Amino acid sequence: MEAQTAAAGTRAGAGAASYFLLESKGNWAGPTAGAFLMDAVALAEAGHRVRVFLVEDGVLSAVGTDVPEIRRLAAAGAEILVDDFSAAQRALSATTLSPHVRLAGMDVAAAALTEDGCRGVWH
Amino acid sequence: MARMERRMWDLLLILTAAPHSGDVVTSALRLSQAVLDRGGSVRVWACGYANMMTQDTFGDTKLPNTRDPEGHYPSPSAVVQRMIADGEGRFGWIACTACSEERGAVHHVPQVRHRSPLRLASTVAGARQTLYLGGA
Repeated sequence: MEAQTAAAGTRAGAGAASYFLLESKGNWAGPTAGAFLMDAVALAEAGHRVRVFLVEDGVLSAVGTDVPEIRRLAAAGAEILVDDFSAAQRALSATTLSPHVRLAGMDVAAAALTEDGCRGVWH
Repeated sequence: MARMERRMWDLLLILTAAPHSGDVVTSALRLSQAVLDRGGSVRVWACGYANMMTQDTFGDTKLPNTRDPEGHYPSPSAVVQRMIADGEGRFGWIACTACSEERGAVHHVPQVRHRSPLRLASTVAGARQTLYLGGA
């Protein structure tokens, strides 16, 4: 299969790694959900290319405009994607989501995870 | 001496969640299908109660839905069988023998491969990308 590189808003420079991090836990599920997103912030601030894919209950972290982890991720240059199916299952519309995120399908995750050198983590 | 070329899979999903414990099985199947749709290859390693999904006792359909008695709802084992058939060698499903035996869930549909957990590391080594889904 040919590797393809998806466009992404990142600040990654030469030598930086590429991470595709999938968060499936809701922000009430305990401290680990927020900790995982803050790990993503740390990677982005360290200069790595970071894409975060919120899926299942993880999409609830993207609701509203004042989720600290989402603001930090956006400020660090990470791309934040929200699974369209999971959002629809929870009756979330694009208007209820943070302006820092965009809806994406599972095809985007599939493309990223099959890129050469992309490091995927599911939480 | 000639060396045998090892097949590499694009994605390995280690599915540790029980069916119906959440959305995770749906996510695993959606992600698998998305990779297959791109021409890639996917393997699922069923760990723990995920081994219940491919029991041959399910038959092809779920119990009737009384709100849609004419509807056809495939069983999880039928879904896996169809994906294996449609994938034409690009989709594989592995049952962990230890997890299956611990749960008395040893009657998998014939398309499922049986592997000892001792082969987990080599299975991971045979994939370009591995994700653990469902927690410990």
